[in-house]
Amino acid sequence: MPLDADIPVKEIERYMGYRGDAGAEQDVFETIVKAVEQVKTQSHPRIISREYPITVSGNDIIIHADTEDTTLSSESLRRNLEGCCGAILLAATIGPACDMLVRRAEVRSMAEASVYQATGAAAIESFLDNENNKLRKQYEAEGYCLRPRFSPGYGDLSLDCQKDWFRLLDITKNIGIELTDSLLMVPTKSVTAIIGIGYDKDKITETGCAACNNRASCLFSKERTRK
Amino acid sequence: MNLRERLGKEWLFCDGGTGSILQKMGLKGGELPETWNLTRPDDIKALNRSYFEAGSHIVNANTFGANRFKFDNVSEIIKAGVTLCREARKEAGRDGDAYVALDIGSLGKLLEPMGDLPFNEAVEIFTEQIKAGTEAGADLILIETMSDSYEAKAAVIAAHETCDLPVIVTMVYDESGKLLTGGSVEGTVAMLEALKVDAIGINCGFGPEKMLPLAKRLTECSSLPIVVNPNAGLPRTENGTTVYDVDPVKFSEIMEQIAKLGVHVLGGCCGTTPDHIKSLIAKVRPLPFKTPEAKNATCITSFAECVTIGRKPVIVGERINPTGKKKLQQALRDNDIDYILTEALKQEEAGADILDVNVGLPDIDEPSMMENVVLKLQSVTSLPLQLDTTNIKALERGMRIYNGKPMINSVNGKLENIKAVMPLVAKYGGVLVGLPLDEEGIPSTSDGRIAIAKKIYEAADSYGIPRKDIVIDGLAMTISSDPNSAVTTLDTVRRIRDEFSGHSILGVSNISFGLPARELVNSHFLTMAMQNGLSAAIINPCNGPMMASFRSFNALMNLDPNLEEFIGAFKDYTAGSVPSVSGISKSTAPVAVLSLSEAIERGVVGRASEAMKEALASGRGSLEIIDTDLIPALDRVGKGFEAGTIFLPQLLMSADAAKAAFEVVKESMSDKPRQAKGKVILATVKGDIHDIGKNIVKVMLENYGYDVIDLGKDVAPETILKTASENNIRVVGLSALMTTTVASMEETIKLLHENINDIKIVVGGAVMTPEYSEKIGADAYAKDAMATVRFCDTVFEN
Repeated sequence: MPLDADIPVKEIERYMGYRGDAGAEQDVFETIVKAVEQVKTQSHPRIISREYPITVSGNDIIIHADTEDTTLSSESLRRNLEGCCGAILLAATIGPACDMLVRRAEVRSMAEASVYQATGAAAIESFLDNENNKLRKQYEAEGYCLRPRFSPGYGDLSLDCQKDWFRLLDITKNIGIELTDSLLMVPTKSVTAIIGIGYDKDKITETGCAACNNRASCLFSKERTRK
Repeated sequence: MNLRERLGKEWLFCDGGTGSILQKMGLKGGELPETWNLTRPDDIKALNRSYFEAGSHIVNANTFGANRFKFDNVSEIIKAGVTLCREARKEAGRDGDAYVALDIGSLGKLLEPMGDLPFNEAVEIFTEQIKAGTEAGADLILIETMSDSYEAKAAVIAAHETCDLPVIVTMVYDESGKLLTGGSVEGTVAMLEALKVDAIGINCGFGPEKMLPLAKRLTECSSLPIVVNPNAGLPRTENGTTVYDVDPVKFSEIMEQIAKLGVHVLGGCCGTTPDHIKSLIAKVRPLPFKTPEAKNATCITSFAECVTIGRKPVIVGERINPTGKKKLQQALRDNDIDYILTEALKQEEAGADILDVNVGLPDIDEPSMMENVVLKLQSVTSLPLQLDTTNIKALERGMRIYNGKPMINSVNGKLENIKAVMPLVAKYGGVLVGLPLDEEGIPSTSDGRIAIAKKIYEAADSYGIPRKDIVIDGLAMTISSDPNSAVTTLDTVRRIRDEFSGHSILGVSNISFGLPARELVNSHFLTMAMQNGLSAAIINPCNGPMMASFRSFNALMNLDPNLEEFIGAFKDYTAGSVPSVSGISKSTAPVAVLSLSEAIERGVVGRASEAMKEALASGRGSLEIIDTDLIPALDRVGKGFEAGTIFLPQLLMSADAAKAAFEVVKESMSDKPRQAKGKVILATVKGDIHDIGKNIVKVMLENYGYDVIDLGKDVAPETILKTASENNIRVVGLSALMTTTVASMEETIKLLHENINDIKIVVGGAVMTPEYSEKIGADAYAKDAMATVRFCDTVFEN
């Protein structure tokens, strides 16, 4: 099943390093259009998500799963999940085809490769945004409110937590993402995240880039791009 | 009775879930189920026993995840698991008719080139498990829940190399019948049948209902007994606990329908219990049993594609073969794999179905080259490959590492050759090209060729290679030396079809060797050969007239539904013009008015090389052109990038244009080597598999006149040190994307500084900052490719 989500060109340009008002030149734009088409048709998006009860204690977030408790320690995540009683853990990928498209493009030209790379990055985010919206609607219908999704590696949430995600969701078996020893995911266009389940919209103080400790130095910060 | 004697002859039943039941018995989320073989053996035995008592013929020992990545004591865990299962069988009174399976699951690592686990290491890891299981007395090897056919191949090879036990493989597909890698049910079946497993099937993923259509597809393509082991529905979580919804009654009702399709072995997976199995057996056992039927499709597969050789001819691209191709010969000597990959992509875009791969040159290590080229090709193209070599070692290395069921070119009628090639095909699987020549040479009549073809078919029978997997070469030889040669070849091709219901192949262009206007003769000969039943044509798919013959033939013979391929290829055709091949003309049409420096600044690849040719033709010296036009243009773009007025894609397109211009210079002075500014090593550090940033740096450095030794990604510190010492390297560029791999960057820097005086290390990558780079001891931080060029310039100018 190909990717059924729009991949916004603006996002692709942002990943490619266009800043301010600058957009892709005509020839780059044409490559983007081709890349979007190929990434969409060749992708094979998969997602797994499960809901768990959680308790927040100090900077510890305890996830209660089956017979096991898992603790994540992070101040930024704690701020994100303040007041939540549960959370959705998820992992998603658009599959390995995009990685091959990037490799193929590299054989031809690095300019093309950079386009495919950025298109893949935008594609997994679009897919995830769509899935996130579905979850939000579903939970809002039940009177809950979902927090912005938060991934290992954001803020002070250690990338080591990837291992917890992989264990709890059995990600490799379920959707075929591998976690390498250095905690990278293959296929590379994959994301793990946690989404808090709360009751009250007011509790959401910081979202997106504003919630991230790296925002000052991040090249991809939206604040920076859209100044 | 031996399991092999019963498979496909009577109903047999597998067991059901293990992990899901152990969790109910108190297995903690993070706990590995196989540890219970040692810590709670009685519980494991009781579980095994409950399945034997429910009536399962095949019960899995608790060894699914017992591999080196999870355990230090693999052998102990596996032996305990198999022993417990054997004891359970005895206690259940089933010693006479039930079997203990060594259960082998995925290693949880993706194999190269998609992931980081080398294929042969995967084989080695599986071998360790299979050795332990066999020693403990397992009756069969059950390889299950595999989502990558490549990993399944590694496990099957390990099993066949370690023991003679029956091997069953069940894969996990998604609802559309696709593997994660894009492979289909049909492609996987072709590969596994060719690897000579004893039964194939599907397990896990979802419940029986969604498995029904996939089971049907299996029955339509498999000649082997079929196994179906679904979950008890899709898992969902309730208050953090995993639950499955399909109860034993519902489960067995759908399994009854699956059994009626012509499936032979049934059981369950996650969420199913002994009750599910009992209920399933009660429903299915009374049904009439259908034995497996042999299917006749000839399939050549890759990890994602399955090409069927049949009525419609297929195109085998011939461009990756150094015979008579100087550039490719040079690329092979220089280990310039990118050149080979470029040839592959061009042929794919021009319409090849299969790519011939011949890397034989007298002065290179052909076995290593074959292995490397196959691996690299399969990282960029999903087209199946034809491994083309007379070097048996190279053939075996290629077949082993190949992901899928390849085409093999070739075997001939010589006894010695048959003895060398056929055992490999019997072991690894493949569609084998047979050349009808023998100790006496090439027969000049079709009678002689047909006689040898018969001998090849019979030899295949004796090695257990199905006749459908033999394709006979009609041996096209030039009509300039034997005027009757085309007649003989066409007759041979026709008789292979008519007398053997067989398949044929031709290296088409050999027919015109030594003649003028070769493509005229070749393209007509191709049409005639196809009309005589040719199944596969080895040609250059970038040759217009050849593809015109091929596409016209398909259109005329009703082999091109809706004439889609024909119209797609020739919609812009004008009468009288040489037919162009769709797909390969790039949209970088030369813009005639641009000067060389303008072409580079604007990144117009085609025009840049044209302008360079014009400049050289006007009598200017190549160095002068580089210094006054090329480098300044590149510099202007680089400065714009640094100032933030030009963005990465434009920088890279300029780099591509400059590279194209350099290529022209290189060709014009191929005998006079260019003086490089210096030699630089680039590598992505160990543990890191992202290399696009490093590759960008490489392109820029090369354009600025540096020789780059690119060590690739995931490179061990020792390798970098060794290369640096051997090549007197002064600058090493290291890239790391993630914080987790910065540690290995630090280790590399330390090792280099300790061992080589004055070596400069420049680092970059997404997580790098100037502060961070200083902390880990780097000599410089480069925020992008241009910064790396500037740094190298400062080092080498001093």
